[in-house]
Amino acid sequence: MKKTSLFVGVIAVLVLTATWLTSPSSLGQSDLPAHAPDPVAGERIFWAAGCASCHATPVDGRRAKGEDKLRLGGGLQLDTPFGVFRVPNISPHPRDGIGGWSMLEFVNAMQKGISPSGRHYYPSFPYTSYARMRIRDVMDLRAFVDGLPPIAGQPEDHDLTFPYSIRRGIGLWKRRYLAVDPVIETTSADSQLLAGRYLVEGAGHCGECHTPRDKFGGLDKRRWLAGAPNLDGEGSVPDITPAGKNVSAWSAEDITYYLESGFTPDFDTVGGTMVAVQENMAKLTTEDRAAIAAYLKSIPASDPRTGESDANDDS
Amino acid sequence: MTTRSSLRHLFLALAISVTSIAIAGDDPGHERHELMEGVRDAAKPVGAMLKGEKEFDADTVQRSLATFAKASEKLGDLVPEGSEGGEAAPAIWEDPDGFAAAIQEWSDAISAAVDANPQSLDAAKPVVGPVFGACKNCHDSYRIEED
Repeated sequence: MKKTSLFVGVIAVLVLTATWLTSPSSLGQSDLPAHAPDPVAGERIFWAAGCASCHATPVDGRRAKGEDKLRLGGGLQLDTPFGVFRVPNISPHPRDGIGGWSMLEFVNAMQKGISPSGRHYYPSFPYTSYARMRIRDVMDLRAFVDGLPPIAGQPEDHDLTFPYSIRRGIGLWKRRYLAVDPVIETTSADSQLLAGRYLVEGAGHCGECHTPRDKFGGLDKRRWLAGAPNLDGEGSVPDITPAGKNVSAWSAEDITYYLESGFTPDFDTVGGTMVAVQENMAKLTTEDRAAIAAYLKSIPASDPRTGESDANDDS
Repeated sequence: MTTRSSLRHLFLALAISVTSIAIAGDDPGHERHELMEGVRDAAKPVGAMLKGEKEFDADTVQRSLATFAKASEKLGDLVPEGSEGGEAAPAIWEDPDGFAAAIQEWSDAISAAVDANPQSLDAAKPVVGPVFGACKNCHDSYRIEED
């Protein structure tokens, strides 16, 4: 409670005195590369980015399966400590989805967390990860989504608790947490490792669930992928670094096979919210899955990670 | 210690064991857990072949399929009303038809794999894959994961 009032105070003062700090910063037309968007390449990005896991409209109250994953009418509810997020329609419907958006508006949404009308998106939409994607990949993704069925209707707006209900405050939040730099620095030229890092830290947005958050809801990168409480339900999300108790004994081949088949080395099956993620990963190439495994195996174990100020940490 | 008291101890121990066996027999939750453990143990060697860790062996595949087949026949009887709990999801009782269909999917995949009687890894992959896939599908809807 004390923390919350402090937070409210801090936010109020900052919003009043430094409105400019919260203004959205966006990309311009000249930032888009000369690239003909390729929907076939975009399908791979679509599964890597896991768009369907949140945006596919649930069927009979259960998560969409098979072809229904391509019906992106939104409507899934995420019950989090910040309130209820209702996932919006991102089907290519011209009125209710994103059919009317320009390519630049799409890229700004994905990588800057800004809506076409210039509002901030809540980081429940993992643009802090998508910001690390290559713009051409985002453009390919758009081309793929454009070919999916347009769905009419929009879910209700989010229902968040104060102070998270102040959208403008996200501008400040972004200044602290929205960065395009890789989380794990490496001087390695190993192309597999770099491909894995690109998939995990960017489109795959693995860190959004597997990394714990600080009290402002930003990822604590010093504990990158080291496990976290489950924000949307009970229990916890496991540590997937080589130090993680569940996966420390897994070989890179075990991880690759798990992502492909959904079976752990012990021949138990994938569970919880990871089921949808694993099904997405199964649609990538074997090389992609092996790259993800190589990257995960390379994460330094319980090493204090750089790149984050600890001014606001609980410690 | 007299012989008489030793005998009494023995009798007591026997009585306790018999009671525990009887309780286990009346505990479908426990039985289905054991059944699933058995399925997992049977899946391991086949999975290792699919992963390329173990050499293909047609007999092992058939033995595991036989274990699956038996389990698929039994599983539906181990979820009577009142046996809720453990890793069994409430959906089993809320949607019994869906649960029965999920078991049927598994059972059909097993029969197809038994009939195909694969003699090589390449022949096994397309018929064993759906058997494993059925595990995952059913768990997705009807199992709760415990830490």
